[in-house]
Amino acid sequence: MDNQANAPKVLKETKNKITVDFERTSLKERLKLKYLNMSYLAMLIWRFFRFLLLMGVSYVILYPFFSKITSSFMSAEDFVDVTVKLIPKYPTLDTYKAIIVDLSYFKALFNTALLSLVSAVLQTFICCIIGYGFAKFKFRGSKLLFACVLLTMIVPHSTIKLSLYMKFKYFDVLWITKLLGGGVFPWLDIIPNAETGMFVNGTSLDLTNTLWPLAILSLGGLAFKNGLYIFMMRQFFRGVPDELEESAYIDGYGIMKTFFLIVIPLSVPMMITVFLFAFSWQWTDEFYTGLFFNKTKMYLLPHLVGQVPRSLDTQYAGQSLFEAAIQNTIGLMIIAPILVVYLFCQRYLVEGIERSGLVG
Amino acid sequence: MSTKAPKRRRAASLDKRKARGGYLFVLPFILGLILIYFPVIIDSFRYSLSSMTFVGGGAGFNVEFVGLDNYQEALFVDTSYVTTLINGIKSLVIDIPAIVIFSLFIAVILNQKVLGRAVFRTIFFIPVICATGIMGSIAAATSSYNDYIADQGQSINTGALDDGGFQMNAEKITMLFENMKIGTELADFVVGAVNRISGIIERCGVQMLILLAALQSISPSIYESCSIDGATTWETFWKITLPMISPMILVSAVYTVIDSFTSESNQVMAYINKTYSEANGNTKSAAMAWMYFGIIILIVIVVVAVMQAYVFYQRRDN
Repeated sequence: MDNQANAPKVLKETKNKITVDFERTSLKERLKLKYLNMSYLAMLIWRFFRFLLLMGVSYVILYPFFSKITSSFMSAEDFVDVTVKLIPKYPTLDTYKAIIVDLSYFKALFNTALLSLVSAVLQTFICCIIGYGFAKFKFRGSKLLFACVLLTMIVPHSTIKLSLYMKFKYFDVLWITKLLGGGVFPWLDIIPNAETGMFVNGTSLDLTNTLWPLAILSLGGLAFKNGLYIFMMRQFFRGVPDELEESAYIDGYGIMKTFFLIVIPLSVPMMITVFLFAFSWQWTDEFYTGLFFNKTKMYLLPHLVGQVPRSLDTQYAGQSLFEAAIQNTIGLMIIAPILVVYLFCQRYLVEGIERSGLVG
Repeated sequence: MSTKAPKRRRAASLDKRKARGGYLFVLPFILGLILIYFPVIIDSFRYSLSSMTFVGGGAGFNVEFVGLDNYQEALFVDTSYVTTLINGIKSLVIDIPAIVIFSLFIAVILNQKVLGRAVFRTIFFIPVICATGIMGSIAAATSSYNDYIADQGQSINTGALDDGGFQMNAEKITMLFENMKIGTELADFVVGAVNRISGIIERCGVQMLILLAALQSISPSIYESCSIDGATTWETFWKITLPMISPMILVSAVYTVIDSFTSESNQVMAYINKTYSEANGNTKSAAMAWMYFGIIILIVIVVVAVMQAYVFYQRRDN
């Protein structure tokens, strides 16, 4: 029988073990077949170039940081020495010291940290609430309102710059302060100013140089890129199955209780992502800093830019290089804290976005 | 048999309660919109149609209606506004496709199993966090200096501050394209994109995140059935991956348009800001900004209309 002839030859047979011999391609032959063909070669080449490309792009991203870091340690002599490339010959910490002492870095750091933390926490929470409202509830006008969210994203800053400034310089929503008849409101003053505090001009409040403008904008979901955060949150909540909330309703939870006890714990990775964006974008923001905050009254990190510390003598041959290096060092010192925050949170950044299922 | 009917309060239906809940959740935004945003927008439009004088001592300001004077002045009297506008839009037309294509490419690669993927992801998203706002203006301030050095051809120490030597020699690329007999438009596009490569990479972060999320959401079973049917990776990319993520490509394209048009480092924005700060509270800047806003809306509409034709929406069962 054919079957019998092709069957493997039994070498040894015991009660519970059988050793058979069948024609098997040798290991060498198998390896050859697997690795020595065009498709494997093509894959290797592709992998190699893919890795090379990623390395190259990483280089483009990281090189400016590297060059800024090395130049921040250079002393004045290094900038006129032709032989110095990247690695300083006379390393010094003078630039850092001068920035910390002369430009009162820590004062600016504290103010910025407070401002960014307050507005990022508010924005994360508010955008989470608004995004949930848009994702899970059907009500009249929800589409129109969402179009308004997109509108706040599209309108360029400079379009509303002037009127935004006027709004908070002469703040008077619904003529409330006019009704109160003006006067000084010391209880509104979170950060005490060197000058008069929050001063009142006739019938309106001057909210510039306090945390209020950004707090109010954050509470309304109108601050920097909040439209994007609302969009991200909405997409995330659309991916959360409705059954989850329905079972909570059946168990007797109300809408609020469901949101705070069931939905919020679920959305922590996404909230960290939004918080990271809000925090770091507020940290490096120059629009609101330039608009609402005065260098002398509320000193923030972006105000450091463009200043040259007094104790550094830049009047020599390498002046422009030295001054550029000082600016770069200031930039490094501005982003160093958020870089640390990022390295701790970056795991959540991709995770949050991946889980969000942004495709609605 | 008890005839006593249970005493019931008429409870609102679930739908009604949910609608009310919806308003409750969106309430902060509604309030912000009505109390802050709309007044601000309306004021801005009003300012663009009027001239403003401050009453001394911070006591207040007067607004005087002047009609379209500000617009006329911006368009016909101001010599550099129109040129800045045209140049700005030209460079963005180059940047925007480059950003979308590049971020798609990187997202596809980062979605594969690459050696050290986590490290690359961490590096690639650094610019999202760090290259915005004030950092952009520092980079702009020091890069103009680098260009100056490059023009002078001086051999003094620039190694410390250049951006990695990525200012490629544009002439070589132009020559390459001339030899290939491809139109100058394409050559211009490539030269522009290559010269701004570091800027383009830095602006790709959010789009990369969006596209990466889209790629992750494609069901693996689709790829499996494709490979069973004998499709190559190349075919799978064009027939499956691209159509599946096309809605998110649209989203990232629109985001790119909005982001690059409204970023502070954009030259038109810089010009408007300069006009604003020259005379504190110059209403001409509001008029300029409104015209700019009109152009942005127009471009967004065009982009959406063109791309909508190619976008594929997967039909879901539910």
